[in-house]
Amino acid sequence: MRFFRKKQGIGKAGAGWSLFAGVVSLIYFFPVLWIILTAFKTRTDTLSIPPKFIFTPTFDNFIAVFYRSAASSQDAASTGFELYFFNSIFIAGTSVILALIIGTLASYGFSRHPLRGNDTYLFVILTTRMLPPIIAIIPIFLMFRLSGLSGTYIGIILLYTAFNLPFSIWMIKSFFDEISTDVEDAARMDGSRDRGVFFKICLPQVKAGLAATAVFALILTWNEFLFALLLTGTDTRTVPVQMARTLGGEIGVDWGLLAAIVTIFLIPVFAVTYMLQNHLLRGVTFGTVKK
Amino acid sequence: MSILKITGLQKSFGAITAIDGLDLTVEEGEFFALLGPSASGKTTSLRCIAGIEKPDAGQIEFEGSDVVPTPIQGRGMAMVFQAFALYPHLTTEQNLAYPLRERGIEQTEVVRRVAEIAEQLRLGHTLARKPDTLSGGEQQRVAIGRALIGRPKLLLLDEPLTNLDAKLRHDTRAEFKRLHRELGMTILYATPDELEALSMGQRIAILEQGRIRQVGTPDQLYDAPESDLVARRVGSPVINLIRGTAKANATINLPFADISGGNWARTIAGFDVNTEVLLGLRPSQLKLVEGTPGGPNFKATVELLEPLGDVTILDINAAGVEMQMVLPEAKAVGFKVGDSLEIEFDPTTSLLFAADTGTAIS
Ligand SMILES: Nc1ncnc2c1ncn2[C@@H]1O[C@H](COP(=O)(O)OP(=O)(O)OP(=O)(O)O)[C@@H](O)[C@H]1O
Ligand SMILES: [Mg+2]
Repeated sequence: MRFFRKKQGIGKAGAGWSLFAGVVSLIYFFPVLWIILTAFKTRTDTLSIPPKFIFTPTFDNFIAVFYRSAASSQDAASTGFELYFFNSIFIAGTSVILALIIGTLASYGFSRHPLRGNDTYLFVILTTRMLPPIIAIIPIFLMFRLSGLSGTYIGIILLYTAFNLPFSIWMIKSFFDEISTDVEDAARMDGSRDRGVFFKICLPQVKAGLAATAVFALILTWNEFLFALLLTGTDTRTVPVQMARTLGGEIGVDWGLLAAIVTIFLIPVFAVTYMLQNHLLRGVTFGTVKK
Repeated sequence: MSILKITGLQKSFGAITAIDGLDLTVEEGEFFALLGPSASGKTTSLRCIAGIEKPDAGQIEFEGSDVVPTPIQGRGMAMVFQAFALYPHLTTEQNLAYPLRERGIEQTEVVRRVAEIAEQLRLGHTLARKPDTLSGGEQQRVAIGRALIGRPKLLLLDEPLTNLDAKLRHDTRAEFKRLHRELGMTILYATPDELEALSMGQRIAILEQGRIRQVGTPDQLYDAPESDLVARRVGSPVINLIRGTAKANATINLPFADISGGNWARTIAGFDVNTEVLLGLRPSQLKLVEGTPGGPNFKATVELLEPLGDVTILDINAAGVEMQMVLPEAKAVGFKVGDSLEIEFDPTTSLLFAADTGTAIS
């Protein structure tokens, strides 16, 4: 058990190491920074060599994300980006939440009430994720066609939920496995029924694990392209698919526009990860807590 | 009146038999200690009594009725777990209040009793903190408080002192006795520590490999152990058990002396000559010969000296038999390894066991 855990680490390692860490993280962050800068550049600045880091920012790219620049500028038509953006949030959000709910219940079962052959079931669940997605795409496409699911929210949400589940179950189970069953027995002796034990005792203890799982699942789902391309329709299209569509064009790739889309697209994942950051760190260091 | 009566309790985990026909009766209001080494089945016994574990066979009668079918929530018992098992995400205050809230006790009453127990266990300053910021002793008091707050009829304590340092352990022993006296509840206290069992338990059960070997007061266990195993468990330093053979005239032939005149004399008079026996001599029974020896005596060499302040423990060797003896510090002063000592003892208080079965002969 850790006693007197304090917030620590800030500045403790010394200036040299901090600088080193700063440089490394800058290298990591550079591609992201590059994209964000590009989003504010004019087409000339974007393509200039050597690249410009000091330039006059423009919001034209961001406007272009939402409005098609019609030559006759009066009837600037909507690009429909709001819809795709909403679709991305709605589809990824719903399927992550569903996977988290189902995954939590399933992994609690696997952890606390193991079946005969528990490990086999867990293994089988994971095998679906071992298949390269490209192998599954044709049968899934045909099934979606037949069942009328293609182009619907329900279809793609179900698919993403199924994709997220194996990983969620494995990850959340490891968090349930970590926590002491004595604590649950204590709660039962204190008068809690099974449901109380689950909601009041177990769930709060794996909060960090749930946050970590949610972030990883969200990132995977958020950026998924292949299935979204084939299984969503014009109404349910997600942002990655829309991004691909901007790649083609008579004037070549509009890097500024693409960068603006990506910049906007990054905001929700950034926000969620930032909000859950404290939990995340606790989730990753979970194993250090003595049972 | 007995509050808890266990008969023929049986519990296995796969091939491991944790509890093997355990019988136990605890009286109402008693401080009862369950003394057994690691893996003897202490935790499993308590878990069966509490209802966490379902026994394979046997009866557990609590207040006159069999509780084996009673769900864990309704047994009116509380337990302090070996590793405390505090709710890590709740503050001390919430930990203490949990049993009351789960039983639907009214909020004002909850607040009142939490305050009362926090006061009693000196936890006031920790109420707003979570378990991982508490010291070991504070965590343990929270665990005790959480068990006491529901006013259980039976309190199960599973090695509650094992995770504390020596000083705290000593203080807490006194604390438990005080709580027992003040609250008058029945306590079943499992421990591998003889000192804890003897100092707190009004009665003690010696547990070994999932079975009770003897139940008695500390004096009964010390003075009249029913087997060599119990004799070895109770008393520190450990009793010397010396292999010998019964001879004619109720005499026992030891490697270093012939002795007679113990309580056991009449019994062994009826034995076949050459029956193997174990003579039990407490280290404190061995005395240095001063003047003319008053009883059986022998020569021994000192092999190790362990000064403990008031007393010194000596490892000695007499005709190839290793023994321990305890001397007051003043008498051991100046002794060194290799010294030869003359030792005597009073045979009437010696214990005797059958060498094959280990049962006491008296
Ligand atoms: N859940 C379990 N699965 C398998 N074996 C178990 C389980 N619980 C206990 N045992 C075994 O049963 C025996 C008794 O264990 P128990 O925990 O009751 O001992 P104990 O006296 O409490 O020991 P300690 O002093 O080390 O806590 C041991 O051999 C142990 O390995
Ligand atoms: Mg134990």
